Formats: sequence, structure tokens, C-alpha cells
Amino acid sequence: MMVHSRVTELVRENKDVFTMKFDSSITAKPGQFLMIWVPGGKEIPMSLSNTSSPPSITFRTFGETTKTLSRLKIGDRVFYRGPYGNSYPEPSGKVAYVGGGTGVASLNAMILKYRGDVFVGARTRDDLFLIRDGYKIATDDGSLGFKGTVIDLFLPHLSEYDYVFVCGPEPMVKSFIDRVDRRTHSKVFFSLERLMKCGVGICDSCSINGYRVCKDGTIFSMDDVLKMTEFGVYKRSESGKMEFFTNGKR
Amino acid sequence: MASISTKVGNFSLDNPVILASGILDETSGSILRSIRSGAGAVVTKSIGMKERKGYPTPVISEISTGLLNAVGLSNPGIDNFIEEFKNFPEKKRTIVSIFGGSVEDFVTLARKVEGAGFDKIELNLSCPHVQGVGSEVGQDADLVESIITEIKERTNLHIWAKLTPNVTDIISLAKASEKADAYVLINTLRATGVEIYSRKFVLANIVGGYSGPGIKPVALRAVYDVYKETGKDIVGVGGITNWQDAIEFFLVGARAIQIGTALLYEDYPIYKKINNGITQYLDSEGFSGLDEIVGVMVNDGTLQGH
Repeated sequence: MMVHSRVTELVRENKDVFTMKFDSSITAKPGQFLMIWVPGGKEIPMSLSNTSSPPSITFRTFGETTKTLSRLKIGDRVFYRGPYGNSYPEPSGKVAYVGGGTGVASLNAMILKYRGDVFVGARTRDDLFLIRDGYKIATDDGSLGFKGTVIDLFLPHLSEYDYVFVCGPEPMVKSFIDRVDRRTHSKVFFSLERLMKCGVGICDSCSINGYRVCKDGTIFSMDDVLKMTEFGVYKRSESGKMEFFTNGKR
Repeated sequence: MASISTKVGNFSLDNPVILASGILDETSGSILRSIRSGAGAVVTKSIGMKERKGYPTPVISEISTGLLNAVGLSNPGIDNFIEEFKNFPEKKRTIVSIFGGSVEDFVTLARKVEGAGFDKIELNLSCPHVQGVGSEVGQDADLVESIITEIKERTNLHIWAKLTPNVTDIISLAKASEKADAYVLINTLRATGVEIYSRKFVLANIVGGYSGPGIKPVALRAVYDVYKETGKDIVGVGGITNWQDAIEFFLVGARAIQIGTALLYEDYPIYKKINNGITQYLDSEGFSGLDEIVGVMVNDGTLQGH
């Protein structure tokens, strides 16, 4: 059901990323998402970047809907339904977070609850957001931290961790999956991103080999992702047509 | 234990619970998941001649009595569909739903579906929210008759005609479709929804289709009316959420049922739950098979099935 809350804070994180807090009493767990609606415009899925009270979303502006959200004022209404999806499992032992792109938003809700080492990747230093002291940074152009991908930066350290949480664009997660030692003792979980329309597991837009990212996920264990033969090979366009990734191979 | 196998036309099903078109049946992986979760058969999302993105979001809105949707017939187009389903292992239990704007479209689609190794189709004559296809075609009895006649003549496909309830006289529509092997009753009801604080419509397309528990009495009435009048094989669909609902449809003439919106509430375990419930009902009421109860409330038990 569609509900609404009032915006209590809207912070610009970098050139195109914003964090919005709103006075909602929803109970959500890290990893869950909301379907955020701009009345008269679109409805889009957004991970909660903080699940305590007040909750927040952190989003990159890329279209009309996100631009409209970024221009809301304190006290304006924000419409949404949810929270939806499963959540990250509770970790124990030594924890690592590996994030790329807006995947950092979803991990942030977890980082606020469970301490761990955070590895973040971005194209350039200007694309980084929600960064705190001690984070290990990778940039494609080397403008900050390690020059290369966050996967390059993290994978040599995999065996040091009991729990690893990964969130980022599909090609990034795919390169993790392709290069990870599958016999690792570390428990690795992935939050996946796909085009979603309904958010509640019925429209089939976000399905990968019958796994619905919106309802069976968005968090999947490594075993599950390894069973997804479509993962990283092709995604679905709005019509449901298979769209192959440029580097996708079976 | 009572038998829950059933027959719709010459199509034999292990069980009568079928996934309706439009819910979790766009991708081959999800169709397989339904079959492996116990569906007797699956109807695909409706496929048209060309790729269609569908409507912008919001495409669904949950209401207390069901669901509003205006997905807008998003589909990859028949050629991309066939490409994806090339090596699909469950073609015999998959009914391909097709939609078009003309007799030619329907015939072309049907022939391509047959050429791809499927042997059953469902004609979407009833989507309530896309111009020029669906119920706009399906309200025209003459056009419906020619579509079915042509497909019958030019293919060997088993044909289900899914009719729209958004007409004053569903019986004449059913009679125009009588060359089909079975009727599927009903598609969603034309509907809309309003969000009062934004003062905006809840669906991007404004108008959509209403499904779920709230439409069950309408669907049941349509099945009853059409069965009483024609005696033909009917697949009942509309608001069926549990085994008790399914039994109601069998009693007024449905030989099988489809579920859609109920997956929102019960998810994949629903197939087994409904099938177990039907079996237990038949056992406890002293019936040995599902066919013994089909239509008994209409024909007083005198007109028993196949």
C-alpha cells in the first residue's frame, strides 16, 4: 500500500548523489528496499541506506524521477511502499563490505549496525559518497586510493574474513564471482540489482533463472548466485527481452 | 486417494491448477519454477508481433480486495520469445498466450508458436488496458470468430479463448468463440485507483485491470453463465486464492483453474496447497475424481464430462 512521510533532511553527498531522511516509522532491516513514487511520475526501487529511525535513502540522480526527489524541500511529502526484499544475514567474526556504484547505499545500512572493513570502488574520487575514515578506496583512474577495481583491491584479502557482503552493478559482481575461490571458508553474500517494476515478486521483470531479485533477494548467497547461469551474461530490458552484457559469456 | 487429473479439450493435466498469463511467466526460468512447484500447466505472458516495453511504472497497485495492474503487455516480441524458448524442456505443459490487432497478426503468431514446438495457445482477447488489442479485439464477436476459425484452419494448435468480462453479454462472445477448444473466463476488470494525498492516479496508465479476491464472484458468475449456456470446457480464473475457491469454480463448470494474483499472497507453495486441498475435499466428500464434481451445480449431475 502506498504511504507517505515528510522529508526531514536532504543532503548532497557529491555531484549527483543525495541522502534523504524522512519521518517514517517503518520497520526495515539492512538490505531491504522501498518502491519510491513521484506522484504523476515513476516509481523506482531504492535501497535504504539507514534502517534505524529516521530511515534514509541514498540515490544517484539519473532521470526525471530521481531529479525530482533531489529537489524536494524539508516538509515535502515522499511517497513509497515497502519495505520489500530479504535482508543481509547477521554476521559474526570478521566482516568485510565490498561496494561499487550506488551499491554502497545498501551496504551503509549494514555498516551502521555491524562493524567491518569497508572496500569501496568508484570511477573517480568525485564519484565516491558515504565515505568514512578507514575505508579502503579503489578508483578506476587512481584519483584516490588504489588504482583499479574494488574487486582487485579486495580479493587478495578474502580469506581474512568470516562474512563478506558485496553490493554493486552486475558486471562488478560477476567479476567477483568469476575470480573468487569457490572453496573459500568465507560466507559471501551478494545484493543484486536488476530492473524492477512491481517490487513484490509477481511481474517477472527482475528474475534471473527463476530467482526474483525483488522477492527472493535482493540478497543471495554465493551458492545461489553460482546457480544463476544467466547472471552476468544477460539482463532483461523493459520488454523482458534478453540483453547480453558486452563481456557476457557462458 | 481421489484423482485430481483433469482434461480440457484433449489436453490432459496431472492437476487442475494453472498459472495465469501475466504473472511470473515472462522468463523461461520462472515458468520452469512454477512447473517444478506443482503447477499443472503454465500460460505465458502475452506475446505480440513486436517487442513492447509496456507502460512506465507504477504498473501495479495493491488494494484491500486485490490488485490493480497496467503492465501494458510488455513482451519481447514473438521472435525474441522463440529464441529464448528454443530448448525449453516443458513445451507440452506451456500454453503460449498471444495478442494481436488483427486476424493476420493472430495467425502469424500462432504459426510461429507452432513452428517453435508448442502445441497450445491462449488467445488474449481480453487485456483491458491497451488500445487496439486485447479486449478491443475481444469485444468484436465477428472478429473473434474469424481469428479462431483461421487459426483452426491453418494450424493444429489446441486453442483456449480468454474472454473479457468487460462486456454486457459474455454469452454471445462465448458463442462467437465456440470453435476454440476451451474458454478461459475471465480476464481482469477495467478499473482505476486514486491516491488522495497526491491527488494522482495510482497507475501511470490511469486505467488498468482489477484482479484478486474481489473479482471472484464476477468470475464465478461468468463461468456459471457460459457453462450453463454452452456446456463447453472452461478454465476458470479470477480471484482464486485457495482450494475452497477452486472447488466453487469446479462446481459451476470449470475443468481447471488459473491463479495469478494469489501468488502475491501465497507465493510458489500455492500450487501444492490448492492441489492438496482439492484432494482432501474430494476424499472427505466421497468423490473418486475431480471430474465427478465439474458442473454438478449446473447440470444436476446429469451431464458428466468426458
